[in-house]
Amino acid sequence: MTCQKASHLTFYLTMRVILVVWLALLILSCKEQEVSNPYQFVIPDNFPESKYSFQNNPITKEGFELGRMLFYDPILSRDETVSCSSCHQQHVAFADPLHVLSIGVDERVGTRNALPIQNMAFQQFFFWDGGVNHLDFVPINAITNPVEFDESVGDIVDKLNASSFYKNQFNKAFGEKEVTSQKVLHALSQFMVLMISANSRYDKYIRNEGELLSTQEQRGLLLFKQNCANCHSTDLFTNGDFLNNGLDTDENLDEGRARITEFNGDKGKFKVPSLRNVALTDPYMHDGRFNTLKQVLQHYSNGIKTSSTVDNSLFTNNSPGLSLTEDEQNDIIAFLQTLTDESFIKDKRFSAPLMPKQ
Amino acid sequence: MKNILIAITILFSAFVFIQCTEDEVTSTENGTLKLEFDNVVGTSNLQLNTSNFAFENALGEDFKVTWLSYYISEVRLKKEDGTYFVDPVAFDGSKGFYLIDEADAESHVIELKDVPPGNYTEVTFKIGVDASQMTQGAQTGPLDLSIGLFWSWNSGYIFFAMEGASPVSTAEGNALVYHVGGYKTLDGSPNLVNNIKEITLTFNGDNPIVNADEDPQVHIIMDLKKFFNGPAGNISFASNSMRHSPASCVDVAQNMAAAFNVDHIHQ
Repeated sequence: MTCQKASHLTFYLTMRVILVVWLALLILSCKEQEVSNPYQFVIPDNFPESKYSFQNNPITKEGFELGRMLFYDPILSRDETVSCSSCHQQHVAFADPLHVLSIGVDERVGTRNALPIQNMAFQQFFFWDGGVNHLDFVPINAITNPVEFDESVGDIVDKLNASSFYKNQFNKAFGEKEVTSQKVLHALSQFMVLMISANSRYDKYIRNEGELLSTQEQRGLLLFKQNCANCHSTDLFTNGDFLNNGLDTDENLDEGRARITEFNGDKGKFKVPSLRNVALTDPYMHDGRFNTLKQVLQHYSNGIKTSSTVDNSLFTNNSPGLSLTEDEQNDIIAFLQTLTDESFIKDKRFSAPLMPKQ
Repeated sequence: MKNILIAITILFSAFVFIQCTEDEVTSTENGTLKLEFDNVVGTSNLQLNTSNFAFENALGEDFKVTWLSYYISEVRLKKEDGTYFVDPVAFDGSKGFYLIDEADAESHVIELKDVPPGNYTEVTFKIGVDASQMTQGAQTGPLDLSIGLFWSWNSGYIFFAMEGASPVSTAEGNALVYHVGGYKTLDGSPNLVNNIKEITLTFNGDNPIVNADEDPQVHIIMDLKKFFNGPAGNISFASNSMRHSPASCVDVAQNMAAAFNVDHIHQ
């Protein structure tokens, strides 16, 4: 490290300390008078640290509202027929209630079941194959995919720049009328980072907020911890890893994570999805092959197919499957239903905005 | 509480002010150094969209070029006394990143400003956009995603893009497509590769002198022929007309790093 660099480092560290102290005092002084701000990012007590680069994109009401408009506006797709909300609907935790595989422009059929959009600020990798590693770049994947929006980023920027309505919204959000791809992505991220689901019955139970679980739900929680929490760990209910959960034999393995890692040992592996709101987000798995949680539990219990990449934790005494009894499966399903967050799916901040006539 | 806040704000502002003043004093006699990137194919100047297959690789396979763009970033200049001038990099991509686009003559010259006076002996830069920038999220300037040099399915910039055609290419339309990128590495993923190349080019004693009155220009040549024939081997258009992913680009990325050299200096 050069001397110049070292002195800069010391300078920045000092600045950072001063800033932190200053901000801390500011926050303390605010807390004296203010109640909670609905556009403030607050980490739930039972959640890990956020992964999002807030320092480059601080949330404002106007930025959030702009992101909300863009999320619901089909202007982002080539022929203006498909929006983010086409495959990500609030009443099912922003998953797709209708389609096994996502449907894009010209009724083109995708290759994956849409994942729910929730708790995005806490994720390091996005999509089933984890190819995207920053929330800002998530929309780009849907926008440019020929079977989704089939649109270019440049065209979106041009379309938005041609709209006096949107130019005004960008001005309110970012202090400049000119639309750029960075502002579009920042606005969408501001909307998505606040989409936190942490208010299910389970959350209120685990945070001792007066909620109780039934005896069946408690049995289910215990069974879940014993059988499922190896992968569906933490209160995000995922360890963030990419694993093969025994859906197919070697000859039928989907490319999965190997598309990104270019490593055959990752074939058939997919992101371990969060199980929050899982009772709402059917169908299940990367290709939506299971319609019910019952089918999912039956799969893990006695439907595991062996392959070269299947995860070892899905075996009991060297035999594939977790061998759960019918009652045990039902108990786990009862527990999974406590992860449904009614306040999240009804939160008016995330619903379709009223758009003025343009 | 209010008094403490005011005191800290004043302290904070003073600190910023002092730091700014220091910078201003040292930068008064600084100058500019230009880096010109001249793209060639062997002994011929590179031209886009030639009507015929005007160029030839080392294997004698004819080709033409329709698109050539690459990113240069994190530029450093070494001075005779061993110190470095580091071209500042902005978190949002607005500074320190340069897109060299063959179709845009203005983009061929990078202007390094505020360079302290002195004799410089070498330049170091990266070809591409490194992992640290990706963690900063959406970018502006040359890294604006509207430019389209980006893999959306596997987030990352395309460091170096060459497209064209060759009669021996078996791809549709005899196409040649070489997109070099890839910076991700993860434990347990042996084929995830970092294709970022940092190269250092010396000025071979013909040192540019920077001061307030001099405006030296370093003429750098990027030879596309070397991109297809370098330390990692000879690329045949007949058998290898497409490169689209990090692991498939390992060889051309190594060749790419060897395709740049300093030709001469205009003092």
